[in-house]
Amino acid sequence: MSKVLEVFDLTKYYYHKTGWLPGKKICALEPISFSLERGETLAIMGETGSGKSTIAKLIAGAEVPSNGDIFLNGQRLDPHNYRQRCQNIRMIFQDALRSLNPETSVGTQLMEPLHFNTDWDQDKKTGHVIETLRKVGLLADHYDFYPHMLSSGQQQRVCIARAIILEPQIVVADEAFVALDPSIRAQIINLILDLQHDMEISFIFVTHSAEIVKHIADKILIMHHGRLVEFGTTDALIKNPQQELTKNLLHAESKHNVLTHSTIQE
Amino acid sequence: MNILDIRNLSIEIETSGGPVRVIDKLSLQLAEGEIHTLIGESGSGKSLLAKAILGFINPRWKITADRLWWRQYDLLALSRAQRRQVTGRDMAMIFQNPGSYLDPNTTVGEQLRESVPARDLPGTILTRRKQVQKRAEELMHRVGIKDHDAIMGSYPFELSDGVAQKVSIAMAIAHRPKLLIADEPTTAMEPSMRAQIYRLLAKLSAGDGMSILMITQDLTAVIPESQRISLVYCGQLMETGPTEDVMREPVQPYTGAMLSTSLFNSDTEPKSRLPTLSGAIPTLQHMPIGCRLGPRCPNARRACIEQPPLRSYKKHQFACHYPLIEVDSHE
Repeated sequence: MSKVLEVFDLTKYYYHKTGWLPGKKICALEPISFSLERGETLAIMGETGSGKSTIAKLIAGAEVPSNGDIFLNGQRLDPHNYRQRCQNIRMIFQDALRSLNPETSVGTQLMEPLHFNTDWDQDKKTGHVIETLRKVGLLADHYDFYPHMLSSGQQQRVCIARAIILEPQIVVADEAFVALDPSIRAQIINLILDLQHDMEISFIFVTHSAEIVKHIADKILIMHHGRLVEFGTTDALIKNPQQELTKNLLHAESKHNVLTHSTIQE
Repeated sequence: MNILDIRNLSIEIETSGGPVRVIDKLSLQLAEGEIHTLIGESGSGKSLLAKAILGFINPRWKITADRLWWRQYDLLALSRAQRRQVTGRDMAMIFQNPGSYLDPNTTVGEQLRESVPARDLPGTILTRRKQVQKRAEELMHRVGIKDHDAIMGSYPFELSDGVAQKVSIAMAIAHRPKLLIADEPTTAMEPSMRAQIYRLLAKLSAGDGMSILMITQDLTAVIPESQRISLVYCGQLMETGPTEDVMREPVQPYTGAMLSTSLFNSDTEPKSRLPTLSGAIPTLQHMPIGCRLGPRCPNARRACIEQPPLRSYKKHQFACHYPLIEVDSHE
């Protein structure tokens, strides 16, 4: 397997400026390094303010790192080269409806990335949009729909379609499952697993649901106060966590589900 | 002894396209000191039910019920003023986004002091201020906030979600209600904070004999202290019963699907496809007739266009023509 993403000493500082004086340096992310292979899923877990969303934003190119490099297939990603970045790394957000433009139809929104990144003619673009809609379990008819006409699950599907339309190598999802109903959430998880299988996409999930992480992740990265606490395969971290925080995060939910666990196993 | 007894409650909302039945013949019983978890996805009418119990009623809603009793009062027969009095004395509610339900313009302390009822306070009007302050501090300690001075002096935007929820619990229990309705109290919280809030609610219920109606979205939020659970789908009761029984032996296909999609089972193969219900939750204007799960149900057959009656199996009650387990039809 080849390493699709390598991150070296990625760092992010903010300056909290008050008045005339040069501001106070706030460290959102201390230097971290990790790598991800093709078709793998990485889950980033941590408490609020631990810097997990910062990593996601830095990788997706929404923010410029203060220091450190990101390599995609051995090639360095320039923080200001948005074209290179957006063809290979795409993002899905938490609130599907708010991340879609309410004023344009689904088809037009999906057309935009093709318009800016390919030199295809109109027919080929339309065909590709419809094919992508089918891939995420929607119909060709949804081309002319507006976001508010769709249910929450379908909206999230449109967001996924927008993320995969350029056939990227990495998709970053920031809390993409939180706002969905349980039965819809399972459908979306299935969809993501299918897409990963068919298209060999690497996923990076930022989430705090231990159950979903255990189900879909190959590797887990645990963050605390902008520092990397533990990084390893899902199996290793669940069976043999080295840090107290890892144990808490991965078992917090199952702990208060003691009852359900024991009764199911009985 | 049931303190809250709801039988066949229906709520119809007048819309431009004719009346829509949002809650359809829902029954719910709550015993004293019990924690009852009500589980429903969005659009299931679970928050509407809470509003109907508390009496936050919009004049456009038509509420009909065979019984809507709170202790010895028939809530539907009471006048507005009487009902207000009963609700104000016996019930309280906490919400999903505590930060946005607190008044942003006043300090937490002021809001908390305002919710302390005068009937609790001994002494004369001259010592009132001091006593209110003392009682507010006690409430803060009860919900697990130790540095009460700092928190009471701050404004809601300065608090984290967890602390804000604790404050709103403190305000809710200030007048010692008999029923606390918690409407998705921890949905937006992280797991460690969530566990704290649940532990606090369980403790309050055990200590004071307060009944709690916990409203949540999925089965992962059911706490071990919850004695009974009810699953609601699109305003219809799917299954109800003691938590353990329902979890161990789901009868209704909906319960079965919710259990398997909730990823409890440690034996689910990682990366395997999850069993799930197909389709989406219907919108209010397009409710299917009969059993509303019908179009998404794996067991649905012709008879499902009629709403199934509530039947019992062991300690559960469920509504389904074709349950997952063979149930004697004479029961």
